[in-house]
Amino acid sequence: MRAYQDMVFSTAARLAGNDSQAEDISQEVFIRAYEHFSDLRTSVTAGGWLKTVTTNLTLNYLSRYRKRWRLFSEMRPSTQDSDDEGAELDWEVPDSVLADLSAEQRSAIVDAALRQLPDHQRLPLVLYHFEELSYQEIADKLNVSLTKIKTDIRRARAALLPLLQSMGGARDTLDG
Amino acid sequence: MNKHSESEQKLEQVLQQALSGLPPRRAPSTLELRVANELARRALLPWWRASFASWPVVARVMFVLVCAVLVVATLLGGVSAYLGDRSLDEISALLLSWAHPFLTVVSSAGGLMALLVHVIPPVWLYGILGVGAFLYVTLFGLGAAAYRTLYLSPSVGNHS
Repeated sequence: MRAYQDMVFSTAARLAGNDSQAEDISQEVFIRAYEHFSDLRTSVTAGGWLKTVTTNLTLNYLSRYRKRWRLFSEMRPSTQDSDDEGAELDWEVPDSVLADLSAEQRSAIVDAALRQLPDHQRLPLVLYHFEELSYQEIADKLNVSLTKIKTDIRRARAALLPLLQSMGGARDTLDG
Repeated sequence: MNKHSESEQKLEQVLQQALSGLPPRRAPSTLELRVANELARRALLPWWRASFASWPVVARVMFVLVCAVLVVATLLGGVSAYLGDRSLDEISALLLSWAHPFLTVVSSAGGLMALLVHVIPPVWLYGILGVGAFLYVTLFGLGAAAYRTLYLSPSVGNHS
């Protein structure tokens, strides 16, 4: 358990955006692992099994809220969302972000920024960038259309970058 | 590739660099203890209070059989209590007698609707439909506005 508990907790925390929920989910994952202990003990894919179970349990945990946000997240206020395909980034994308920070510092900032994203943006973004699933796999997992997944990830990136920049800048100021 | 696509691609690359190679977060020190306590608590439960999947196979089979017998017995008992030793014609008449009040209500409602449509001027009907549609859209808009105000941070996704 010690070898995997950080990985399991990280996966749940980044997907759920909530440490308390992540701890509950991690507990349930390891209880399930204990029930399959005889299979997992000698398996070389135990890490993958744990990651998959963690992802699925987290999505199940959040699914009770998903129908609610799915409807309203598709309604676009004019100030926030422009046309899906034509959404322009009206600011210059920098060449790098948080590049001068250590991995631990980056991790803290990224996790704090992810917590500020709404579920319908954070979930597909984490599944894409951290779990390395394809757009289609994410759409299948979340049971939403491929177009919506692409749009949500695009908006999540556009929302995440300024958060990382501002938090990274604040960190530099504090460290300096 | 246009400027928009280039920006999107650059944004993805920049974020991929920032998000890659991050160390996992440290799990709370209490997690291991929580799991051990929960396992101990579950181990103390009698088998019939554990999840159905962990019951002994014999118990699961017996449970399913007993449930099936009870369901069948209940259905057969209920049907025989209602029908007794009636003939097929009597059963048909009984079913029709049950359906009669329902058919009467449907027929009366239809007659009432036809009368209203005939009596009320068409302009009034269109007005009522318009007011209903307006109220529906207004309430839906209020619900959406409340959702955005209460559940979504207004700063997220709006960076201009």
